[in-house]
Amino acid sequence: MEGLLQLLFNGLSVGAVYSLFALGYTLVFSVLGVINFAHGAIFTMGAYFTYLLIGGAVGANGLLAGLQFPFALPFWLALPLAGIAAATVALVVERIAFRPLRDRGSDPLLALITSLGAGVILVNLIQLLVGAESYSIPVGTLGSLPAALSIAGAKVRTVQVMLLAISGLLLAALSIWINGSRSGKALQAVSEDPVTAQLLGINSARVIQIAFGISGFLAGMAGGLVGLSISIAGPYFGIGYGLKGLGVLVLGGLGSVPGAVLGGLIIGLAEACVPADLSGYKDAVSFGFLFLVLLIRPQGLLGRPQANKV
Amino acid sequence: MLRSGGLTPAPMKRRLASSLGALLSAAAALSACQGSEDQGPVNLSKGVPVGAVLALTGNANVYGQDQKIGIELSLAAFNGAGGVNGKPLSLSIEDGGSAEPSANAAVSLQINRGILALIGPTLSQQSFSAGPIAQRRGVPLVAPSNTATGIPEIGYFISRVSAQSSVIAPLSIAKALQLNPGIRRAAVFYAQDDAYSTAETVIFQQALTAKGLKPVTVQRTQLNDQDFQSQITAALNQKPDLVVLSLQAMDGGNLIRQLRELGYRGVIVVGNGMNTPNIYPICQKYCDGILIAQAYSPELQTPANQRFTAAFAAAQARNPKVSPIPPQLTAQAYTAMQVIGEALARLDRRQPLKGLPLAQARKALMAEILGGTYQTPLGEIRFTPEGEVIQKNFFVAQVRMNAGGKSGRFSLLP
Repeated sequence: MEGLLQLLFNGLSVGAVYSLFALGYTLVFSVLGVINFAHGAIFTMGAYFTYLLIGGAVGANGLLAGLQFPFALPFWLALPLAGIAAATVALVVERIAFRPLRDRGSDPLLALITSLGAGVILVNLIQLLVGAESYSIPVGTLGSLPAALSIAGAKVRTVQVMLLAISGLLLAALSIWINGSRSGKALQAVSEDPVTAQLLGINSARVIQIAFGISGFLAGMAGGLVGLSISIAGPYFGIGYGLKGLGVLVLGGLGSVPGAVLGGLIIGLAEACVPADLSGYKDAVSFGFLFLVLLIRPQGLLGRPQANKV
Repeated sequence: MLRSGGLTPAPMKRRLASSLGALLSAAAALSACQGSEDQGPVNLSKGVPVGAVLALTGNANVYGQDQKIGIELSLAAFNGAGGVNGKPLSLSIEDGGSAEPSANAAVSLQINRGILALIGPTLSQQSFSAGPIAQRRGVPLVAPSNTATGIPEIGYFISRVSAQSSVIAPLSIAKALQLNPGIRRAAVFYAQDDAYSTAETVIFQQALTAKGLKPVTVQRTQLNDQDFQSQITAALNQKPDLVVLSLQAMDGGNLIRQLRELGYRGVIVVGNGMNTPNIYPICQKYCDGILIAQAYSPELQTPANQRFTAAFAAAQARNPKVSPIPPQLTAQAYTAMQVIGEALARLDRRQPLKGLPLAQARKALMAEILGGTYQTPLGEIRFTPEGEVIQKNFFVAQVRMNAGGKSGRFSLLP
């Protein structure tokens, strides 16, 4: 029982990060039908913003070497502010990498390339400004909270529990917004059919901006939380999560918000189930699992079949 | 039955054939051009050309930054002392990233520039990939930090100043058991996709077995892993009192932090991958107490080391947040540059570089490198005919973090 609980904690704590990451992908995919490959870079920026806002100093490399804000915010305040800053970056990405193509009626698939380009530019910009070295959010950032919790004999790091809780809260808030607000319903309408939504008086461009803003906010929050849990391993920090997030997006069902959460948790649990002596193969196991699921259910776990796809 | 190319229309086939022909011609022209460049004289117009390929970006950038400082200090010292008989060394540094393709590209680029010798790449994994390129092109390559078994064996032109794991890794195990004779259960972690880690863990496990400690668990990770909750909880179930890590700085630092946060209080021995002060910001206060074998001591009282430590302290004085005590990787990189510089000076005296064909100069330089004895910050070093470093002094250090856990030092154990 204790072992099962430990496995559950291990899987959920990792899966929560994947879910949070994939939610951002999902929001953009739901309105545009394309994947925003700059999402990983925005996630990385969220981690760096959080680090700087809590009073972290830039190291010896980069144009901003030695920079340190004259204030140090508590983590609880720095995290949402980093989310807002990341949302701003996401809006800029939408403006320069997606909107010009959309305005010209280009094939949506071209946006894959422009977003990939935007992501590469952002990653290199980070490197230019703050260097390639790693940064860490100080261990005592959570104040007097214990480093780990023991629940019924299973051990889990406090930061992982927090990550799980915040992911859950963000998901709940997102669900309430999508289903209970006017703008959320507009998002659903645009995701169903942007042209019809436009004819019905919905400002599709505005809805797309909102989706990018929220997606960036989630990425920024996720980056800050992961940065707290582990160190920020340089400008390429988000790339690994980007790949895993894509897997989660597909497993859950393209464009499905609950699917992104479910997919993330399942991939996390699949990884946790890998026996200890095969732990180095956990990526292969989780993607193998994804492959099998897609063979049986190509639309993903909670996605809808698309009969008219060409 | 489908024939090969049966689905390709004839005009397309012709286009393909002509494109392929053009490509092959271009490749042949390039390779001829490359060959002729190697046959031309050494270009001394901007100094004596040498190069370095370091991991300045990616996960291994924490090593590359240390190495860059060492190489630049060594270059300044060598040129300040007259260079290659009055001619300064001209150094170009290329970022080899933290992966094999980027290292291969950087090594090829440096060789095509006409450098006489190359320092790098940073990781053993990269050297196994890029080393054969230098070997094929006949360019002396001095590895400053590769410790995996088999690096000098890549070929005649490959040597290293970093002692291999089999020499230094067992020292830290012996010291851990000497300090804690009650240790009975060892857990081992290593990155299964990294040449350095896989080579070093074998040495560690052999050292443990030789001391009667068969590992109770061996946990495999991957180089880019950052979350180790599953592996750690599986290992902690075996109740180890010694944990031995063969990991790079980034993943190793994160693993140590998570290991301590999850309640492990026993001894931790780490391998050469964590031999850098850049681990301090990663594992922070949890770095305290880890044991590590080193091939360099800042306390070594030799003129060469005193010059090096003084130069390092002076260079770091500009940044008060950085320790004035040089780390091993910086000392080894300094040594690699020194070895190349001194060998070039000897060669130039024996056979002036001016007018010497590049390929011939590179070959003669390799013989000089292997034949020399060097008074370096690492102590006196020489090379075996295969290019393996022969070094006398090794140490075991314990990391001591300052209050607050933001900085620390490698404190040598007696």
